[in-house]
Amino acid sequence: MLTNKRLILSHFWLAFIVFGAALVLGAWQMFERSPLNAWHFNPEFYYRSVTAHGSAMGYVFPTLIAMGFGYAITEASLEKPLVGRRWAWAGFFLVAVGAVVAMIPVSLGLASVLYTFYPPMVGNPFYYIGVVMVVVGSWIWVALMPINMAVWKRENPDKPVPLAMFANVAGSYLWGWTAVGAALEIIFQILPVALGLKSTIDAGLARVFFSWTLHAIVYFWLIPTYIAYYTILPRAIGGRLYSDAMARISFILFVVVAMPIGVHHLFADPQVGAGFKFMHSVFTGLVALPTLLTVFTICASAEIASRLRGGRGAFGWVRALPWQNPILLATALSLVMLGFGGAGGLINMSYQLDASVHNTQWITGHFHLIFGGAIVIMYFAIAYDLWPHLTGRALESFGLMRTQLWLWFTGMIVTTFPWHYVGILGMPRRMAFYDYANPAISPQAFSVSMSAVGGLMLLTSGVLFLIVLIRGQRAPASEAGAYRFSVPLHMPARIPVALNSFGLWLALMIGLTVVNYGYPIAQLMVLNETNVPAVYVGASR
Amino acid sequence: MSEQKLFSVRNPWFRFSVGVTAAIAVLAALTGLIWLPLAQPDLKLSGIWDAICSAAGVPRASSQGNPIQPDFKTSNVVMTSEMLTRSNQVSIGRGATLAQRCAICHGPQGVSDANSPNLAGQFAAVTYKELNDFKTGARVNVVMSPFPANMSNQDMLDVAAYYAYLPRVPSNQLDVKLAPPPIVVTGAPMRNVPPCGSCHGDIDNKAGSPWLGGQSAVYIKAQLHAFASGTRRNDISQQMRNIARQMTAEEIDQVARYYEAQP
Amino acid sequence: MAVETDHGIGEAVAARIERRWATLSIVIVGVLVGMATFIGIHQATMPQGRVETADPGTLHLSGEFIESNLGSAVEADGSVTVRAIGQQYSFTPQCVVVPLETPINFRATSADVVHGLLIEGTNINTMLVPGYVSVLPIRFKALGEHVMPCQEFCGIGHQGMWGKVKVVDKTEFLNRTAAKRRLTCVD
Repeated sequence: MLTNKRLILSHFWLAFIVFGAALVLGAWQMFERSPLNAWHFNPEFYYRSVTAHGSAMGYVFPTLIAMGFGYAITEASLEKPLVGRRWAWAGFFLVAVGAVVAMIPVSLGLASVLYTFYPPMVGNPFYYIGVVMVVVGSWIWVALMPINMAVWKRENPDKPVPLAMFANVAGSYLWGWTAVGAALEIIFQILPVALGLKSTIDAGLARVFFSWTLHAIVYFWLIPTYIAYYTILPRAIGGRLYSDAMARISFILFVVVAMPIGVHHLFADPQVGAGFKFMHSVFTGLVALPTLLTVFTICASAEIASRLRGGRGAFGWVRALPWQNPILLATALSLVMLGFGGAGGLINMSYQLDASVHNTQWITGHFHLIFGGAIVIMYFAIAYDLWPHLTGRALESFGLMRTQLWLWFTGMIVTTFPWHYVGILGMPRRMAFYDYANPAISPQAFSVSMSAVGGLMLLTSGVLFLIVLIRGQRAPASEAGAYRFSVPLHMPARIPVALNSFGLWLALMIGLTVVNYGYPIAQLMVLNETNVPAVYVGASR
Repeated sequence: MSEQKLFSVRNPWFRFSVGVTAAIAVLAALTGLIWLPLAQPDLKLSGIWDAICSAAGVPRASSQGNPIQPDFKTSNVVMTSEMLTRSNQVSIGRGATLAQRCAICHGPQGVSDANSPNLAGQFAAVTYKELNDFKTGARVNVVMSPFPANMSNQDMLDVAAYYAYLPRVPSNQLDVKLAPPPIVVTGAPMRNVPPCGSCHGDIDNKAGSPWLGGQSAVYIKAQLHAFASGTRRNDISQQMRNIARQMTAEEIDQVARYYEAQP
Repeated sequence: MAVETDHGIGEAVAARIERRWATLSIVIVGVLVGMATFIGIHQATMPQGRVETADPGTLHLSGEFIESNLGSAVEADGSVTVRAIGQQYSFTPQCVVVPLETPINFRATSADVVHGLLIEGTNINTMLVPGYVSVLPIRFKALGEHVMPCQEFCGIGHQGMWGKVKVVDKTEFLNRTAAKRRLTCVD
């Protein structure tokens, strides 16, 4: 029962428009820094473009997807209209206006600091204000999700919260808490300098704050994808979800251990002690656990669907799956990319292996494979699945959908595998151009060209995706029926209160953050002599 | 579903999750803060407390032996990005008076044809730094060195503010259509030459880097050669020597001619 | 009734398989963390042991990072200390010279913004954060030349920030230190 279709559709459309624009920039960046291009141009355009691409893809696009999908889940799974409709619209406009406010100085070249900010470099204050507006807008969603769950629970005291809603609320709590790190960095460190109230900043502390956000933000991006794995895929292929309880445990594990691990991004940093780096490394290992559990549950659920359709044999059932179904195709491709990306992630989590790839193109390859690959391909699937229910018109270009998904997958592999490879060769990231004529780096030239070709494939796939959606908007009206989520194989009659609420998990999340971040942050805050002069970027313009 | 109490040791979920999380955290802390540091022979720890402090990251100031002192004067100016970026009318007025004795070489309006640097519209931080370096002897020039010798810090700030206030005047060689040579646009990355404009103001400004447009080609060329050969060493921590010594004589010529023709 | 029993058995089987997988997952994670710990203790490769601070604005005025003290120095115990700084947009020294098969203590910091430093063809890789000193023990096992790019975005000239490392024979290195106490390969 989707009542606020316009609200949800607005989130999705804005998200995909932002995505399309950022995708063009991404493909341009791939091309222009490759040997296919004669590199005689102003490098500032590249950094401007990377700032826009990163801010749009990292902050705006996934946030809007999580918000829009979250509202859809609330209405469809709780079977009642969203509580706080006006607030939801306010959140949407904050995100939209924030995105514009941030992008104006970026496109003028006044804030080419990349989306990871990099103080003591400081750009135009409106860039940071825009980003804060986006985050504050999303915090309205963060508040609305638990409120809707609480209202529903009061009305249905004896029923377990539907899995999709439980996971959705887990995602909102996760984001609410993880965004605090970057918010503290921007509001208390960067903005006072950008506005000219202060002229020094502790770059080391800023990096610690940012790491608090930087890793768990990936799990915030990931949660809509996992929700789709658990609650859309089994229903879409006519099967059952293998286990409801294990799904809840996976989402709970994300809430608890996604946060206190961010310092693994700072393994090579001089301002954090080795002991805390080790502690974060241990918890980084733990965060692989929910993913391992998920892969099992999803494969088992697919097997159930296949056997219901008559699939036989230890592996023969794989062939009996409905491969023409775009949701299944997207999930399968997503899991393959998650597998490769996850393996790379296990390498990054160990200090010793990380040293050989830290800040090389390996890392760029890694997070593009995980986010751009495994996560975004499921955003496509979510849109394909939800669209007929939002527009009241059928999506019928299944062939085009499958082509689009395959192209995205192939493009992502062609882009990121060479990236990983040149990373091992030691190619540094975030450079506007490279002189491939130099024998020291000429062996990297071919791989970089490959990546650029992959970028072009991704762009083509992105265009196809938008064509499918636009066609859907123009198709003749047809009633899609109620939007439903998967049903578990064995619906538990009773659910332990721990798997139906968040109090305990939030307490653990905050407690672990205090244990793992408390001392490093407190110590750097009292250390005054490491406040260094800000370096203003774009000020001469 | 409400009969069970969540935060209670009788709830197995509570017992298990809190217990396991705490156990992992304590084990990780013991390993990371005590065991691992004690296993590092290079650290030369004096005991468990020292191990904990070093692994937790308690900072200490770096102090390593007796540094070798330079056998030449280095610049003692501390440059920051926001230095002298706000104009001050009183300072400009005082600077105008003081600058009268500079006019003979640098022109009455901060522009001259004498192949000495044009100062009109120059960043205040740059003029101030160079005056200071001439005064301390970090930069030496037979004609220029005597002038700042008796200037106070305020005098130097005022003169810098005055020249920053004057409008830039294009040189006689102005030719905006002149195509920039590759060394200006992209530098030579593998030789550690970034684009000139990433510091000198046409793309971005690094504190202490002068605006080059309209400077005499003879002057630019002479300075680049001086940096390259090490006869000029007042650039802090070799920031300009590193670049100039990697440039070919031809590139130096191109850069000098290009910037002379710019506004 | 029979259906319900089947259902109950199915549920028990499903739960058992699931528990096995969960156990296996925990074991995998445990092994990985254990491996990192073991290598950390056994080969003594852990992150920098101490946090040290240095004021980036005054590096050139006094202390170990003044211009004339940068480069490679031989210590009393036969080890070598290399000191370097990163600044927009070069490393000083621009070319680092080090001896083969010698324990080297690399000490570096930043004079302005965040930089990074990696030596291609090796596992040497660290951040340079203004205000803090990065320290890493290194050792070279082969003669030759490496490029040393800045690996962190440090401003518009970032793509031009490439240094060099030359690994030379130990005797040759020591001969050179007789004439000069801080070596570089800048020409």
